[in-house]
Amino acid sequence: MTAARATLASWWDGDLLYRFRRSPVAIVSLLVAVLLFAVALGADAIAPYDAFDPAAANVVDARLPPGSAGMYGETYLLGTDPQGRDMLSAMIYGLRTSLMVGLASVVLAALVGVLLGLVAGYFGGVLDAVIMRIADVQLSFPAILIALLIDGVTRTALPREVHDALAVPILVFAIAASFWVQYARTVRGLVLVERNREYVLAARVIGVSTPRILFTHILPNVLGPVLVIATINLALAILTEATLSFLGVGLPSTQPSLGSLVRIGNEFVFSGDWWISAAPGALLVLLSLSVNIFGDFLRDALNPKLAS
Amino acid sequence: MNGTDIILSVDQLTVRFDASPPLLKRLVTGAKRRTVHAVEAVDFQVERGSTFALVGESGCGKSTIARTIAGIQAPTKGAVSFMGVNVAGFRTRHAALPYRRNLQMIFQDPYASLNPRWRIGRIIAEPILTHRLMTRGAALDARIAELLATVGLSPKDAQKYPHQFSGGQRQRISIARALAANPAFVVCDEPTSALDVSVQAQILNLMKQLQRELGLTFLLISHNLAVVAHMADRLGVMYLGRLVEQGDAEQILARPLHPYTRALLDTVPDPHAPHRPRARLSGEVPSPLAPPSGCAFHPRCPLADARCAAERPEPIRVDAVSVACHAVAEGRIDAAQPDRPKDQQSLEQSGDAA
Amino acid sequence: MNALLQVENLRVEIAARKRRLVAIDDVSFEIAAGEVLGVVGESGAGKSVTGTAVLGLLEAPAVQAGGRILFDGRRIDTLSEEGMRALRGKEIAAVFQDPLTSLDPLMTIGDQLTETMLTHLPMTRAEGEARAGELLAEVGIPAPRERLQAYPHELSGGMRQRVVLALAFCCAPRLIIADEPTTALDVSIQAQILDLLRRMCRERGTAVMLVTHDMGVIAEVADRVAVMYAGRVAEIGPTRQLIAHAAHPYTRGLMASIPSMRRREKELTQIPGAMPRPDAPVAGCAFHPRCPQAFARCAAERPPAFPVGAARVACWLADPAFEGVPA
Repeated sequence: MTAARATLASWWDGDLLYRFRRSPVAIVSLLVAVLLFAVALGADAIAPYDAFDPAAANVVDARLPPGSAGMYGETYLLGTDPQGRDMLSAMIYGLRTSLMVGLASVVLAALVGVLLGLVAGYFGGVLDAVIMRIADVQLSFPAILIALLIDGVTRTALPREVHDALAVPILVFAIAASFWVQYARTVRGLVLVERNREYVLAARVIGVSTPRILFTHILPNVLGPVLVIATINLALAILTEATLSFLGVGLPSTQPSLGSLVRIGNEFVFSGDWWISAAPGALLVLLSLSVNIFGDFLRDALNPKLAS
Repeated sequence: MNGTDIILSVDQLTVRFDASPPLLKRLVTGAKRRTVHAVEAVDFQVERGSTFALVGESGCGKSTIARTIAGIQAPTKGAVSFMGVNVAGFRTRHAALPYRRNLQMIFQDPYASLNPRWRIGRIIAEPILTHRLMTRGAALDARIAELLATVGLSPKDAQKYPHQFSGGQRQRISIARALAANPAFVVCDEPTSALDVSVQAQILNLMKQLQRELGLTFLLISHNLAVVAHMADRLGVMYLGRLVEQGDAEQILARPLHPYTRALLDTVPDPHAPHRPRARLSGEVPSPLAPPSGCAFHPRCPLADARCAAERPEPIRVDAVSVACHAVAEGRIDAAQPDRPKDQQSLEQSGDAA
Repeated sequence: MNALLQVENLRVEIAARKRRLVAIDDVSFEIAAGEVLGVVGESGAGKSVTGTAVLGLLEAPAVQAGGRILFDGRRIDTLSEEGMRALRGKEIAAVFQDPLTSLDPLMTIGDQLTETMLTHLPMTRAEGEARAGELLAEVGIPAPRERLQAYPHELSGGMRQRVVLALAFCCAPRLIIADEPTTALDVSIQAQILDLLRRMCRERGTAVMLVTHDMGVIAEVADRVAVMYAGRVAEIGPTRQLIAHAAHPYTRGLMASIPSMRRREKELTQIPGAMPRPDAPVAGCAFHPRCPQAFARCAAERPPAFPVGAARVACWLADPAFEGVPA
């Protein structure tokens, strides 16, 4: 019991938390990010209306400004979109979709990248050369281009309904395909250092099997930077998804994400209906900014060179 | 001790590393393949229960030999046979396990040799679990506590992480891990060179005590001649990948034959014998990428002649020592010199200090 | 007292999260012109921090919290950054463990020597370049003229440390702070560098503060030696006296724990335990928990430095009024 409390105390006094407690920017950014995550998770309970229910949309209520009352006495805090959907509800569901796509693509990219990085760094040789050359090629395409390419191919290859149903997985795959390289390179670099450290040699002398060495010894010691990249990549992935949806190659409009909401509103900006774009846009900025700032904090706090 | 009980035998061991530039660069710039001659044709044998020490300056190949014997570096040529089995011959990890159980290693850097994210208990249990000597449970915990006590730590330390210990304590943990599977042989690669002298004394004493109690055999790798003098029964002096002199440690330290051994012994500053007249080694160790012809030591050797530059000396026996030097073989250096008088003098001086 | 460097009651604190840790506590010593003072101690004893303080290079979170440092009778610890910079390199030079940190990797060796001299000495570039070549010859670099054009990475470790010595001596300083100058080198090279350092100091009358953990190096090079323990000077005196007849139990333990190449003991004398860390200071004499001769007073009261022969020893056993341990 006392041991547990001591562990807790040392964790509370640990370097990372100490820095966190002294950085108001980091605290605020994490609070905002956590709040947005909570809202997204509880979308069904929090959103005033169901954004996916066509029956709830009322074309008569289309493009009402923020604060308007609807035909049946609904209150639209942030106004409505061209289909008469409540903007606030659409944004909350959009937030959920954006976060889901972002998280899923980051997790997928990290899994693939870390695994390939571990293998390339530890075994070296031909395996390393092949993996890293693929990564080089991948890196010479911008993320958007890769995503556009994958989306374009699947769009022509698959029937429309199938494509719409598979929109989220395809998007996740497209974003992950352009992000894994960063993990692979970082992890490979770290593994090159770690594999010659004496604790790894010690495990080899003991006779520990190679997979065990990779996953129980090396992996935990290279995860810090992976966490940092993942956090910063989450913001990037959300923005990439928004960009793709804005360009119309992401999610269909029946499945609102923050990016597709901005796109819908884009057509009406010049007719004075600014809120349809501005509100989801602002939320997008808030989300990516808070995640990004927290990622920056993590990077600085975990970087041994900057630590005093 | 039975004089013929050889636990480890190293036979014409050669380890070379490929240090060539990448293929593309070689094709474009016409650069040649380059080979690091880390270890060249090294022979030695270690008796059970004794300490064999390898000394030399950095880059002389002593650590490469240690790693080859520990099975984490493949030999280019030659054989390492441990308890009668050729170490390089294992096909699978499972085939090598019985050998690995009997041969463990202690590393130089106490800060790098323990996984920073593992608790001490898990670190020490790893050899036991890997070799399936025990399963998790109370018996294993008791064994860990016993091992910690053996190296002078508290059983409660099993719950802690490496960063909570000082360098000397970490080296004790390293020793406990090495002993966990009851090995017969421990390779000690510079076990105290990262430690302060008062802590070094603690670790060396512990190693000697464990050797006495458990009948361990040590291969000690060190650049510190004083440590070697304290620990070794037999001694091998390495220069640029080759053993230039090996044999009874006491004889080599009292009557070094090879000019390199002599210079090395003279060079080491000894607080117990300051300001003794000392011959200096001039120049620096040549690159193992392009070792000199003939005797590798000849460019720095005060006794070198044309033969030394042309022909590599083969080891010859002098009393309990084998030495590879033309000057010794030709009698240009007095092989049978008595113990050097200045050592007697310094002995008295250091006697005063204690 | 014709001391070149006087350090009086130096105290260095390190600002930690909640409190200030004492790294150097009431350290006093002096170095005469042309003298080599060895400062020896285990890692964390505060020997490097002392050298850094003398050079005026303490960086946050470490701050000088008390005491005075006098160079040639003039206080230097209160000098401005500007004033200190003028002094460093000219009057006081530094040699560090890793030659690569002392050399600019992007500048040729000749340029580094010339620039340093032009900064501090009234001479023309041509004179500076000629002098740079002479200096390289003096520190024993073969083909010095050609080496002026070389970059640090083109030289071996031993050669680099020779260049660092040339750089330290180029403005004819009166004091050199050498922090573990040979620790990174092989023994044969170490001896060459120590010989060179000693010879150049003899010839020029340069004083040296030689910081090292290696008692063997001290024994070879130093005229006097200060033994540091837990941020304090345990004992300071002539090297010969200290090695043959150390008065402080810590110095005695330290000497006895060094294995000798000439005498084979069954067991080395060991000092139990480890040095207290700054975040867990010890009351009284900092060595008393490890001292085989400690008695009640050692735990209660910190011993001042008592004279023993030509040495000063911070130990109650050296107190002239000491009359045996009370039963």
